[in-house]
Amino acid sequence: MIDTVEISVFLVFFIVFIAIGFLAKNFRKGNLNQLPEWALGGRRLGTFLVWFLVGADLYTAYTFIAVPSSMYSVGSVYFFAVPYVSLAFAIAMLTMPKLWAIAKEKGYVTAGDFVKDRFNSESLAIVIALTGIVAELPYIALQIVGMRAILTALLHPVGGNVTLISNIALVLAFLALIAFTYTSGLRGASLTAVMKDIIIFTTVIVVIVVALVAYHSAFTTAFTVKPVYADLPPKLYNAYWSLFLMSAAALYLYPHAINGSLSSMSAKKLRLSTALLPIYGIGLAFLALFGVIVYGIPAAESALKIYPSSIQGALVVPTIIASVTPQWFTGFAFLGIFIGGLVPAAIMSMSQATLLTRNVIRYVNRNLEEKRETFIAKLSMVFFQLLALGFVFIVPETYAISLQLIGGIIILQTLPAVFLGMYVKHLEKYAIAAGWLAGIASGVYFEIYSNFVYLHYSIIKTTLMPSAFGLIFVGLTALVINLVVVVIGTAIVYAMHKQPNISKEKA
Amino acid sequence: MNTKDIIVGILLIIPFVAYFAIPTYNRVNPAIGGLSFFYWYQTLWLAISALLFGIAAYIIDKGVKE
Repeated sequence: MIDTVEISVFLVFFIVFIAIGFLAKNFRKGNLNQLPEWALGGRRLGTFLVWFLVGADLYTAYTFIAVPSSMYSVGSVYFFAVPYVSLAFAIAMLTMPKLWAIAKEKGYVTAGDFVKDRFNSESLAIVIALTGIVAELPYIALQIVGMRAILTALLHPVGGNVTLISNIALVLAFLALIAFTYTSGLRGASLTAVMKDIIIFTTVIVVIVVALVAYHSAFTTAFTVKPVYADLPPKLYNAYWSLFLMSAAALYLYPHAINGSLSSMSAKKLRLSTALLPIYGIGLAFLALFGVIVYGIPAAESALKIYPSSIQGALVVPTIIASVTPQWFTGFAFLGIFIGGLVPAAIMSMSQATLLTRNVIRYVNRNLEEKRETFIAKLSMVFFQLLALGFVFIVPETYAISLQLIGGIIILQTLPAVFLGMYVKHLEKYAIAAGWLAGIASGVYFEIYSNFVYLHYSIIKTTLMPSAFGLIFVGLTALVINLVVVVIGTAIVYAMHKQPNISKEKA
Repeated sequence: MNTKDIIVGILLIIPFVAYFAIPTYNRVNPAIGGLSFFYWYQTLWLAISALLFGIAAYIIDKGVKE
């Protein structure tokens, strides 16, 4: 049976979404040929919009697809996403208002700008900027996995060549996205984020209520089927805390989170909106539980079985929605999840473009006019969106959470330069650079070792590595190695010079 | 370090202590509607965190002009 109602509702709301994206350019009007206006919304967003905008980075395909998928396929250890959300905002409370104040005073747009001044090194700024750009790519790929899962769930009942039609629909959606982020910049992203989150909040509440009314013993049934999911196996304690602590430390190192924070109107408004962001996580917790409750809803479980096992995990949330709500609501909810991948992808590629122009291209061409700089930023954003689209063909859906965690391993290596740089006075740039190199190299090594050597997989399924303390997150090991090198390196420089920061780079 | 900083610091550290004490909440009972303690307890702490951070933000900004 063809779900005409479902698809029509989906399309109507998608058109509304695109319209909001384009009209947003008139919101709190500014000269969109200036980079801070385009990329930071002119630093004029209030508590409410920053809350939605930064929250939009949180409520992504990570939340709807990746976390429930891992809960479904691996179990309770992936509930680490809940403590992660709480602790990430504690870290943000300490770091972001301070960075905001420094950025406002000196006109910084990116973390690279800060690093360049703080360490008096353009090369280090380029390294930090490129790390940010690379770390975003798997995260954007995760959004695309989520969008594709929704298209599969939407189009599968129609039949025909679902993969081909989904890919065409995906490309069309991306073209629409590129068009409005190009014209409206961050204003478009923040207003569409509000629409997306209203749909998502509604969906989460409705589905949980409807599912628990219809299947009131769903959790009991689920834990009978999967008793090991009821709590955390003690051998995974170290995996659990290393995942949540490192994910929390990583979140506000991502360029898109820094962009979102810097777009705030004031440090005070930023602080309040950050403080209230854990509330956003409550929806994430419920969505994660969808990965468990599916075992207690026979209709959803059997609907899931029609798909190949490699993509079942990614389809947990869409399948539950389709089994417990009427068609019109399913179309509405699916659109929410679809743009839930699209909006963050826009914000992420915009932050990559900003980094590239501010901290890399400017270094090559110093006499860049402001208008031209913004134009290059817009063009490179289009390039990054297309580059990320390429990931569609190489990503294993059910283990999509690994994409976000790989991004985390990479971005964590900028922690000494950005977070410690703000608070610790006596850090030396060569030590920071050496630490970064050690962190990236060990992270890549352990990631490859765990998946291909230790577990003999042919794709990347995990970011946990075997150790004397059981399984732990690769990001933790790599960051510890990085920090040890930074400390030793700084000590060596101190031993050699009396005033380490006196050596200026000959650039 | 003044008193204000110390209070803010404590408010921000409380959720870390709560979440790091994994053995204290890694239990099935008491369950709510069949949902293990492990899950609902950690979710409840999101609301508590927002409250604690909100108080911290209020303390920091009290008397500070924008």
